[in-house]
Amino acid sequence: MRIQIKNLTKKYVMGEVEVNALRGVNLNIKANEFVSIMGPSGSGKSTLMNILGCLDTPTTGQYLFDSIDVSTLDDDKLSEIRNRKIGFIFQTFNLLPKLDAVSNVELPLVYAGVDKAERREMAINALKRMGLANRGGHKPNELSGGQRQRVAIARALVTNPGILLADEPTGNLDSKTGDEIMAVFRELHDEGNTIILITHEPEIAEYADRGIVIRDGLITSDEIHAEARKFHHAQL
Amino acid sequence: MQIEENIRVAFNGLIEHKVRSFLTMLGIIFGVASVIAMLSIGEGAKREAIKKYQQLGVNNIIIRDMDLSDKELEEARAKFSPGLSMKDVEAIRQVVPQVVDVAPQAEREVETKYSDKSLKATLVGVTPCYSELLNYTADLGSFIQEDHCVRQLKVCVIGADVAAKFFNVSDPIGQSIKVEDQWLEVVGVLQNKSLFTETVGELASRDLNSDIYIPLSTFNARFEPTKQLSSELKQITVKVEDTGNISHIAGIVENLVSRHHFKNKDFSIVIPVELLKQEEKERRIYNILLGSIAAISLLVGGIGIMNIMLATVMERTREIGVRRAIGAKRDDILSQFITESLVISITGGIIGVLIGLSLSLTISLSTEITTNVTLYSVVIAFLFSVLVGVTFGYLPAKKAANLKPIESIRYE
Ligand SMILES: Nc1ncnc2c1ncn2[C@@H]1O[C@H](COP(=O)(O)OP(=O)(O)O)[C@@H](O)[C@H]1O
Ligand SMILES: [Mg+2]
Repeated sequence: MRIQIKNLTKKYVMGEVEVNALRGVNLNIKANEFVSIMGPSGSGKSTLMNILGCLDTPTTGQYLFDSIDVSTLDDDKLSEIRNRKIGFIFQTFNLLPKLDAVSNVELPLVYAGVDKAERREMAINALKRMGLANRGGHKPNELSGGQRQRVAIARALVTNPGILLADEPTGNLDSKTGDEIMAVFRELHDEGNTIILITHEPEIAEYADRGIVIRDGLITSDEIHAEARKFHHAQL
Repeated sequence: MQIEENIRVAFNGLIEHKVRSFLTMLGIIFGVASVIAMLSIGEGAKREAIKKYQQLGVNNIIIRDMDLSDKELEEARAKFSPGLSMKDVEAIRQVVPQVVDVAPQAEREVETKYSDKSLKATLVGVTPCYSELLNYTADLGSFIQEDHCVRQLKVCVIGADVAAKFFNVSDPIGQSIKVEDQWLEVVGVLQNKSLFTETVGELASRDLNSDIYIPLSTFNARFEPTKQLSSELKQITVKVEDTGNISHIAGIVENLVSRHHFKNKDFSIVIPVELLKQEEKERRIYNILLGSIAAISLLVGGIGIMNIMLATVMERTREIGVRRAIGAKRDDILSQFITESLVISITGGIIGVLIGLSLSLTISLSTEITTNVTLYSVVIAFLFSVLVGVTFGYLPAKKAANLKPIESIRYE
């Protein structure tokens, strides 16, 4: 699972106004990396993440997902990639309010064509992993913020995508709960998942092995954290 | 499996917005209910008509002696018209092509008695072929036989009402009733005939169940005509081989009889099958009218559905975005929303069918109108509601499917 981005730009046009949200981003992410993307508000983090997650397309530049040029894929193929290979986690959770936790977690499996009994079991297992075994029947509004985000992570994990994209996952949580969620990501990374995490909080970014900083649509810094470096050296 | 999921989601939505869903369905409900109720009225009328004309025989041409005033009668006789008579019968038999049989019939109003009961009835003098031409079947005993005519026997076959009034449950066969000053032995009782509630051409409405049938020869020998100048026969029924050229043959018959009557218009010709066609034509106008009403209410219903579905899609833009983000394809979203509009229209259709059925039942129970619900009208009405659901649900669903994932997930 590799991500390769060359000279990526994204321009939003709203009538007369043009916003260059990304202005030539180059980035390589290998399998099982844990990357944080930091930057001030409006710097283009979400724009980049949405392109990485195949939710949006770049204006120019190339995006290779697992060596496949994403611009050659049609809408159905992109949906399939989002469904099977990418798990998306949002700041605002984006759970469907009318469905209970299990049904929310099941949803990607519905679109993957997994049959009812099997997907229910898979969803329950994913919830269990998130420590929510006994919350399956609860609607999102009956859960705390931390619990909602865990449900959302379970939903992202349930198809075993291998790569998780999280756009400010702790942005709506208090710092204690945020730390708990980050511990979860850490664990998922240890289990072999690739994780890309957007945040504007340095403390949160520290959970990652590699820190990228974006300003005004450009990567201004990209370095491997001290501890991780040690780890890297040990591996070499 | 996804269909099942879609249906579940659609029903949950329906239940959640009960009032809104019901209002949306109203057009469909009215459309379907009115189609079923109106078609049932049309079908009822059609069956009544067919029954009515079948009684008169679809292969028959009926010639009736006109009811004339004394003065008109005198005039006709002065112009040498003998009125309807056996001569006409013979002429038709010999001249007119494709005639299967001809049944003469004489009539007169009589006073009839049995023990202490008395009745007014129509005495009809007939030949044996009458029963075959006009579909008369005897419930008990038999109809007038050849032998009765040849021997001018004083026998009679009575209508179901006469039998009921005179004999109640006891067996009338072999009993004698008094008609005017004659005693007649009952040899048969006719099957109950449905009432002739309408005048068909020159055939005045009357209750055939209170008729008394006797051999024509007996009629002529035993019963004086009520008027001096009355025609010999009241009616001649001509049965032809097939209905295809019945009006052509009727033309020949008319010419022939007219010539015999020296161009006096003292008779009229009724062709039941032609009248049936006429009525059907009139009913077609009714059908077109009701079809348009139904079409309009279904159209209104469809627009209602489209309207509500467009609003639903707007309302749920974010949900659509989330579904797309986790892997729903355009077609998944399309089928989800089409399923929702189908669930609305099918539910409306089912309610409409139920209301239509009860409406039709209410009409037939509380008015004179006969209704008849056919399976095909239910199926048609139902299929239309499904069609409306798909057609008018398509545009909003397409709109939902074409939303860009990223834009819809950011929609506030
Ligand atoms: N859909 C959009 N239409 C127009 N401008 C947009 C849109 N999305 C983002 N932008 C603009 O692009 C820039 C980068 O936005 P974003 O990627 O959301 O930043 P971040 O996530 O780092 O806060 C901002 O100036 C923002 O206003
Ligand atoms: Mg952002």
